[in-house]
Amino acid sequence: MKPEYLIICVEDEPDVLDAVLRDLAPFESHFIIEGFGSADSVRDFLTASSAGTLKPALFVCDHMMPGTTGVDFLVDVETFGLAAGAKKMLLTGQAGLLETVKAVNQGHLDYYLAKPWTPESLQQAVRLLLTSFIREQDLNPMPYMGVLDPAQLADMLRGDRRLTDR
Amino acid sequence: MSTLQKLGLILGIAGFLLPFLIRFDDLSFPGHLALSIFLLAAFFWMLEPIPIHATSLLVILLGVGLLSGAGPVFGGMDPELVFGMHGGFRPGSAAAYVGTLANPIIILFLGGFMLADAAVKFDFDRNVTRVLMKPFGTRPKWILLGLMTVTGLLSAFMSNTATTAMMMTVILPFMSTMPSGDRFKVALALSIPFAANIGGMATPIGSPPNAIVVAASARAGHAISFGEWMSMALPLVIVAMLATWWLLYRMHRPTVTDIRLRQDTTWNRSRKAKLFYGVFGATLLLWVTESWHGVSSNYVALVPITFLSVFSVMEPSDLRKLPWEVLWLVAGGIALGIYMEQTRLSDWMVGLIDWSAFSGVVILGMFAFIGLLISNFMSNTVAATLLMPLAITIGLSQGDAGIANPTLLALMIGLGTSFAMVLPISTPPNAIAMATGVVKTSDMARSGLAVGLIGIVLLITFSVFFWNDIIH
Repeated sequence: MKPEYLIICVEDEPDVLDAVLRDLAPFESHFIIEGFGSADSVRDFLTASSAGTLKPALFVCDHMMPGTTGVDFLVDVETFGLAAGAKKMLLTGQAGLLETVKAVNQGHLDYYLAKPWTPESLQQAVRLLLTSFIREQDLNPMPYMGVLDPAQLADMLRGDRRLTDR
Repeated sequence: MSTLQKLGLILGIAGFLLPFLIRFDDLSFPGHLALSIFLLAAFFWMLEPIPIHATSLLVILLGVGLLSGAGPVFGGMDPELVFGMHGGFRPGSAAAYVGTLANPIIILFLGGFMLADAAVKFDFDRNVTRVLMKPFGTRPKWILLGLMTVTGLLSAFMSNTATTAMMMTVILPFMSTMPSGDRFKVALALSIPFAANIGGMATPIGSPPNAIVVAASARAGHAISFGEWMSMALPLVIVAMLATWWLLYRMHRPTVTDIRLRQDTTWNRSRKAKLFYGVFGATLLLWVTESWHGVSSNYVALVPITFLSVFSVMEPSDLRKLPWEVLWLVAGGIALGIYMEQTRLSDWMVGLIDWSAFSGVVILGMFAFIGLLISNFMSNTVAATLLMPLAITIGLSQGDAGIANPTLLALMIGLGTSFAMVLPISTPPNAIAMATGVVKTSDMARSGLAVGLIGIVLLITFSVFFWNDIIH
């Protein structure tokens, strides 16, 4: 299928960013996965494409980065109309309690995954978040069937009023 | 709009205008008007520049405008004058045309839809699946049969598409654990849509094309009761199901030896759920005993419609979610059939070919085959709608004693369309199977073609040896 939504990964250490992108490879068939080295480069990208057709579905963010921290960035993202509804994940070992609370309360954080992570735990978390996104945006779940959480898919397909006999 | 859709738009409009520009001998003026509507509808339905239910509504609107006594063409004219001028055509009743939206068959389907949606609301379908799968154990061969049996059973009264969606998620978790080379995944993924389409033939409410069959047969003089339909279709469904199971198993052998499907559902014991179980059971009972109590199944359908509402088992928010557009799709199909009959357009179309050259059985086979063929590329209901008026007219001219009578021909077309499972676009259940990513188009085409051929053979065999006697 032609992907219409983005998964945006923000991580300043190139090796770590590569690892994240590698682990997210199974989702490439259905989403466009972009990696960025800093929060500012994401902001530039989003403002440039705010007239475009691609919308972010998920942010996977490190916290400790030069310039804007991950938490502050996720709080910031709330102001981007384009990113409304996108799911937010913190992938870090270095966010203290205060910052995490801020991310949850002001940034509406959806998931916190501590470093170091296993590919399975990252993929499972991403799968759940993407499924929630598709559900909340009321998108047609059919094209995404290969990557969605099967348990939730049952309810989505059964309740989807677009699927009728003809 | 895609290229095909643009083509459909152009052809539809061109087709609509054609009878205004060219005069066909032997076709009356109202017949030309009906031909305009037919050509517009045919191209719009086939290539879908607008949604198919919208085309159905256009059909009703154009009928009222062009052919009824309330429209601009024949409005205000003395019906007897029109009768004399236009070869025995009396302007149609606009109320009758619009009334197709509440045709008794539509009411029957509305009852079926409400029961089906209530079943989903109270998890009835998932619980039935869990309970009925238990006896089938864990061996792949029997699990496959179990899945197909349950799918077929559910799709007989629920929509094939909803049943496929639900059953697909039962097998998806397990399929993701299977080794990638295991061909049995394909068997599992294909078994669901195939079983759903086959199961949809078992009852009049199983699938929308069935409504076209019942409506057409009723207009031709033979109303097929719920029980009569089942006594004809159910044996065929069972044979087709077993044949398809055997076929899929042979073509896609498993390497796994054990299949465990996890289903975490429990029976809903709330008051409303119990009321639903009661209404469902009562309706089913009344439907199958129609020949004893004599009340048409169409009006029995008012029982679930009424009592699910009376007890607020289905609330307005539920009612709003019913697939009303499918009902309208069928209504438009019924209306078109009426126009073609009233204006003698079907007589004219049938007269273009010399049918006396073909024996009754050949005609049966031809309609089954053509129905199946074209339905692979378009909606089953549309395929049935387009072929039905011709078949009924031929059937009536052949005389009721012949094998190619209207009811059998209608069944050939309606059930033939349900056997069309070659491509992802053939039916929504096929599309769902494709979306899993487990099935290649070539897998589906190979198995689908085989099932289609089996279907035609079964349809002709059952008609000739069993159904003709049941009808007469």
